[in-house]
Amino acid sequence: MIEFNAVSKQYPTGQLALYNVNLKLNQGEMAFLTGHSGAGKSTLLKLIALLDEPSSGEVIVAGQNTKTIKQRKTPAFRRNIGMIFQDHHLLLDRSVFDNIALPLKIEGMRHQDIKRRVRAALDKVNLLSKEDQFPMMLSAGEKQRVGIARAVVNKPAIILADEPTGNLDPDLASDIMHTFKQFNEYGSTVLIASHDHELIKEMKKRIIVLRKVKTTNTKAGLKNGR
Amino acid sequence: MGAKYHQSGSFLGSLMGHHKEAIVYSLAKLWQSNLSTWITLAAIAIALCLPASLHLLLQNLKSLTDDKREVPTISLFIKQDISEQRARDRGELLEELSQIDKVVLVPRDEALKDFRKITGFAETLETLDENPLPHVLVVTPHINLIGNPEEDMEKLAAKLNTYPEIDLVQMDIEWVRRLRSILRIAERAIFVISALLALTVLLVIGNTIRLNIENRKEEIKVSKLIGATAAYIRRPFLYTGVWYGLFGGVMSLVLVHLALLWFVGPVNELARLYGSTFVISGLSVATTFFILFASSLLGLVGAWIAVGSHLRSTKLEE
Ligand SMILES: Nc1ncnc2c1ncn2[C@@H]1O[C@H](COP(=O)(O)OP(=O)(O)OP(=O)(O)O)[C@@H](O)[C@H]1O
Ligand SMILES: [Mg+2]
Repeated sequence: MIEFNAVSKQYPTGQLALYNVNLKLNQGEMAFLTGHSGAGKSTLLKLIALLDEPSSGEVIVAGQNTKTIKQRKTPAFRRNIGMIFQDHHLLLDRSVFDNIALPLKIEGMRHQDIKRRVRAALDKVNLLSKEDQFPMMLSAGEKQRVGIARAVVNKPAIILADEPTGNLDPDLASDIMHTFKQFNEYGSTVLIASHDHELIKEMKKRIIVLRKVKTTNTKAGLKNGR
Repeated sequence: MGAKYHQSGSFLGSLMGHHKEAIVYSLAKLWQSNLSTWITLAAIAIALCLPASLHLLLQNLKSLTDDKREVPTISLFIKQDISEQRARDRGELLEELSQIDKVVLVPRDEALKDFRKITGFAETLETLDENPLPHVLVVTPHINLIGNPEEDMEKLAAKLNTYPEIDLVQMDIEWVRRLRSILRIAERAIFVISALLALTVLLVIGNTIRLNIENRKEEIKVSKLIGATAAYIRRPFLYTGVWYGLFGGVMSLVLVHLALLWFVGPVNELARLYGSTFVISGLSVATTFFILFASSLLGLVGAWIAVGSHLRSTKLEE
């Protein structure tokens, strides 16, 4: 489902975020991505979601080389990937409900269906009571959960999460992880970047460790393990 | 990855849904908006007012000059030896021609009577034992100001001259010439003014939409992140442009008609003093719709320009 072949990413600033990354994630697999801060976890997820392009190497998602996807097709492609952002990217002038409904509206779903699906997603993240509130009124953990609900509301084939439990208390974090597991059991391929080693170990899923690129450009990359 | 692809109904259905959503959303935004929206709308309305009222002025001038006395006529002087009946028959035949609106026969006796009344030369005329005046057919041509009336009238005159009964063709072409050249200048002036003011409206709306986009950068970015198409992001802005144009147009129509009301009294008074039946006319339904359509179109174009290339691609710029 997701394949990285000798992928490197250098930002225009000259910062080398990924160097020679090789990775393969099968359809329906669930895996965790760890590594020190600055190791390139967010960058790696962005490359999958077509939010950025690799400097070299190829990223293959759902059998398609991301380089060959036409501009016109990228939105539809992105919609099949539910991404939870580290800085959740919610719209502050729209209610929780409207934020979560956004992907469905973009797909052009009927209003009744949108209502049903948004409620179901809110229920999954335990936020049903907050649907009319605005993001400003929410705690950091609640905002994060709204971000999760928005990412999964259209049942995407791939779910990518960047530190989804960063601001959550351990119980809630564990709940959320199990929600992801549930989505995985429904068939979604799930990749979660996380620092929370305890929790990751508990989940008994594949763990991918990203090592930080040395500035001396020595060979860095990826270690696969369990 | 098609397995999990969700679609709600037909493509067309979802497109209509998108438009409905964009319409509702952009209207709601406009409705919630502040003083600056009203100022923008007022500026658009005032800019649109000027060409609309100039058009109205021109139209009223045209209808003023349509006054019966002023319609150019062609006088056909009939040969002396032709009987009144033959002249009448010729008149009726001429009336059949498509270039001719109306033919009135003025028999020589009647002409003489009128002549006596008007000139006060009654006594001089008495001294003549015979009526020196011919029968006259007064032809009102069907003039078409849009075509080339001078040439048309000349052609018609030449044709009329070929009839055996007719001695002399006399036409009043100066009047048409003057009217036409005045209208031509007025129309061009109005066109130039309209074009400039349309450009103003375009710039005002374009700038408003551009600020709008600036204010909603975050929203645009997030929408792109979660897979909104460029068209989806663009649509509410384009509708906002259309609303600005449309509502500005409506406001300008209201202003023009208010101004018109203010003019009705004095104009009617003036018309009465001149013994004219002239009544001031408002904008026609067609013109009203044209103004609304044109202003909406200007809004759309202005918004389209403002939306610019960064909303036409799905590229993310950080
Ligand atoms: N937009 C950017 N422009 C330039 N450099 C960037 C950009 N984004 C990230 N980087 C750099 O790329 C490297 C990898 O960043 P990335 O955000 O992928 O790390 P990370 O593993 O997600 O870290 P964290 O755990 O702190 O979120 C960092 O050194 C960072 O400074
Ligand atoms: Mg990160």
